[in-house]
Amino acid sequence: MNGLQNKGGMTRRRALQGALALSAGAAGLYPATGRPNTTLRWWSTQSSPEQLAAYRYQIAAFEAQHPGVQVLFEKTSDEGYPAQLAAAFAGGNVPNLVTHLPSFAVADYWNAGLLSPFDAVIDAVGAGRFFDGTNRVYELEPGVHAAAGIGNTAANMLWLRTDLMEKAGIERPPATWDELRAACARMQGRGVYGAQFPYAKNSATSLVIICFIHGAGGQVLSPELEVAIESPAAVNALEFYRSMREFCPPGATGYSWGESLGAFVSGAAATGLYAGRVLVNVSNRNPRLKEHITCVTFPTVSADVPAWTFNDYPSVFIPADAPDRELTRQFATWLYEGEGYIRQLHATPGHILPVLKTAAQDERYLDHELVRRYSGEIALMSTEAAAGHNLGWESPAHRINVKAGALINSGVLAEMVQRVVLNEERPRVVLADTARRIEAIMKA
Amino acid sequence: MSAPARKSRRYLFNLFAWTVVLVIAFPLLWMLLTSIKPQSELFLIPPALLPGEITFEHYRRLLTETPFLTYLKNSAWLAGGTTLVVIVIATLGAHSLVRFSYPGRERLATLVLFTYLLPSVVLVIPLYLLMAGLGLANTLTSLIIAYTTFALPYALWLLRSFMKAIPEDLESAALVDGASRMQAFVDVILPQAMPGIISTAMFTAILAWNEYLYALVLVNSDAARPLTTGVINMLVTSFNIEWSLLMAASVMMSVPLIVVFAFLQRYLTRGFSAGAIKG
Amino acid sequence: MFREGPATTASPGKASLDTRYGLLGALLIAPTVLVFCAVIVYPLISAIYLGLFSIYTPTMEGEWVGMDNYRRLLASGEFWRSLLNNVIWTVGTLALQVIFGILVALMLHRNLVFRAFARSLVLFPYFLSTVVAVLVWRWLFNDLYGVLNHLLMWAGIVDMPVDWLGTMPNAMVSLILVGAWKYFPFVVIAVLARLQSIPDELYEAASIDGAGAWGRFVDVTLPQLRDVLIVVVLLRTIWDFKEFDLIYLLTGGGPIIGTQTLPLMVYKEAFALNQMGGASAVAVLMMLIMLLFMILYLSRARD
Repeated sequence: MNGLQNKGGMTRRRALQGALALSAGAAGLYPATGRPNTTLRWWSTQSSPEQLAAYRYQIAAFEAQHPGVQVLFEKTSDEGYPAQLAAAFAGGNVPNLVTHLPSFAVADYWNAGLLSPFDAVIDAVGAGRFFDGTNRVYELEPGVHAAAGIGNTAANMLWLRTDLMEKAGIERPPATWDELRAACARMQGRGVYGAQFPYAKNSATSLVIICFIHGAGGQVLSPELEVAIESPAAVNALEFYRSMREFCPPGATGYSWGESLGAFVSGAAATGLYAGRVLVNVSNRNPRLKEHITCVTFPTVSADVPAWTFNDYPSVFIPADAPDRELTRQFATWLYEGEGYIRQLHATPGHILPVLKTAAQDERYLDHELVRRYSGEIALMSTEAAAGHNLGWESPAHRINVKAGALINSGVLAEMVQRVVLNEERPRVVLADTARRIEAIMKA
Repeated sequence: MSAPARKSRRYLFNLFAWTVVLVIAFPLLWMLLTSIKPQSELFLIPPALLPGEITFEHYRRLLTETPFLTYLKNSAWLAGGTTLVVIVIATLGAHSLVRFSYPGRERLATLVLFTYLLPSVVLVIPLYLLMAGLGLANTLTSLIIAYTTFALPYALWLLRSFMKAIPEDLESAALVDGASRMQAFVDVILPQAMPGIISTAMFTAILAWNEYLYALVLVNSDAARPLTTGVINMLVTSFNIEWSLLMAASVMMSVPLIVVFAFLQRYLTRGFSAGAIKG
Repeated sequence: MFREGPATTASPGKASLDTRYGLLGALLIAPTVLVFCAVIVYPLISAIYLGLFSIYTPTMEGEWVGMDNYRRLLASGEFWRSLLNNVIWTVGTLALQVIFGILVALMLHRNLVFRAFARSLVLFPYFLSTVVAVLVWRWLFNDLYGVLNHLLMWAGIVDMPVDWLGTMPNAMVSLILVGAWKYFPFVVIAVLARLQSIPDELYEAASIDGAGAWGRFVDVTLPQLRDVLIVVVLLRTIWDFKEFDLIYLLTGGGPIIGTQTLPLMVYKEAFALNQMGGASAVAVLMMLIMLLFMILYLSRARD
């Protein structure tokens, strides 16, 4: 007993010493030495390894010009940014700069008074260097921009495997939905699925179904922003989307952008709905497909309905509460400059497309293996993206919809897809219900 | 029963029991196997059970090309810091609840049990606002404070039952010998309670090491991000899902637990028999 | 409670000692009380308070709406569906945890080669981070490259890959199974500890009375485990009911709201719909439900 207690005493003393050491260490948790005076925090949803390398280059150059300034890059994600930014705004602990969020998210935050005007940066970059109309979607009050575009993206291109098309005897790319379905059916088999659409409970599914509604000649909201989703076109879109389920991998009910892209790049799907990132991912991860991929505008229900390209208009904005605003503006301007901007574009050629005329024509931009190899595809995506739309701005006739971000985050559109496809509910009934829910969000 | 029959029954039982154990452990085994397969073997259809070639490339990439080590350091600080804070407060508190009498004591003990009911999601936003108000947003300190919300009631409850099991005479004897209450606490109660404290500390550390929700909402910078949110944020993106790296990261996240577990397992189970299961 | 005058005068030292001890006791509990007030009571009160407002999360501004949030919730199918899901998930996973936990504990209690190693392997899922557990299972469940589908197809049980997480009822079943896998070791630990303290004499006495293996289990083991199981079931019910990480990471509440439990609904209201008031109201209701359960359970268990 005595011995035991002694042992216990020893243990205790040692434990106490350890505790003291630990708390002493905790006090020195944040060493004050060698820290720069100012830290700019930069958030982005676009952060593949290639892009990170480009950002590092830009940050290093900026820090070299501004001694005592440190730029801290922090990743966020397409599915995660709404919650993270909500928490950051609510706590007043916002990043200085946020890039690559879709334009409809920007409108939502601007409407709540959370962003500071971006015109100073646009002027510093040079308003005339942007392609005409690029920043139209950010002009949320006459003459005031909430953000600027940092790139364009044609998110719903139809990617094709030319080798599989040839093998299946398909001579030209599908232009209508019926042709697309027939092509998928013919290419499906031996471990290859026809397509890779998302059918999940996430924002990717919401955004993709909007493309199909427009591809059927419908719309979610009217130009005056009245709910207009209850239409024969939307029924048609949902029915087509349901009919494509059998050509998608079983796990497509859990797919977001990443899984969809992976399915096409790995060769598991014969066609793909995605943006230009396919190019760099194929060349880095599955180079044997390099010679066999191409893209076209996404088919519509019939030749009468024009293609509707989804451009999320990746943005740059500065939160209203961000500290060091002047320095942040300088850094935002810097992101568009010379070699740095071109490196950003080269990190994912064809995915983030230039918004600056000067960069698009720059020899340095054009002189890149993938830009040369896929010049046709990239040109097509550039034209399509420039004329692109999203839920925040469904057509040139539409007013800017500041509730689009809330609509996407609420998941009503993804739930609509799942109810029709997984529960096999009648599209008409589901659409009526969805219309009511959209109405409630628009009014909230 | 004849000896050979008994022997073969024993043999069969062992076979059966180990099959069950291996089925339970299969996901862990698969995680390990996936993490040492080259990426090209990952996407074979059908998947190969054993790697054709063993590679530690994914581990190297994690350690050298990603902020994995920063996250690891953050997680270690979080687990250590939370445990220290919670154990010190809870040991004193439990001692007070068990050995002292003052008005409201029983009600306090019930309140502790009640806080068990609180879902983390309820507290997360008010806590976030509190942290932002204190200027602690985006720091490890804010997470340590947040983690005490679920760790402290748990630790207090465990320690209270441990301490209840210590005979009162021990302390009385020390008091008769002229020791003060605090001396008696340090010299008599603490050594007796040490297995319980170690066991509680382990549970607290594991809770803090594994927490996800608070880390997701309260921290948004790599400088203070722990492994749980860091790994997902880093490897599950809209342009790729790095399964090889995810599995390698999972293995490395589990290694510290295996080490702790191997050394302290006896406290864990013993602590349980003594304390956790008594009301 | 009340000390009479004479007693006090008879031993003045004792009274002051009592007061001093009371003060010391209060001093020792003070940090706990402070921390509770700061990080639990305050957020709790603000949650109840926020539930009476309509609040936009990013600005945290809004207006008083009284009981409107509650009226809206109780009238919505989504709240009741989430509650039902919550009950299905809790009961399903808890039942598996307890049954499987007892069986494995009995197995590990017997002589087994490399018993310590077997115990470590079995207990490990419990200590694994939820994030890790979910990642591993999602990789096992993967539609194209998941080993589970290929094993099942190889064994001829299915001929197409199964969609484990994207359709109903698969998603709920998968969730319950993964939850059971992750948390049954807790039951094993508790039961194993108790088994080790059951005196052998009880079994010997039962054997002498002619009880077989099953009889000994029913007559000796189960009654001895009763107290442990009461506490284990209470704790696991509370934890499973408020589980967030596992469900959020594995299914995200989908498909549609097929696996959406109340904690996920709180998160969705707060951060996806940016309605902090509604989120707080769900949380408060959820707490009331758990409180009710606990009172009923404890009063029943005492009988």
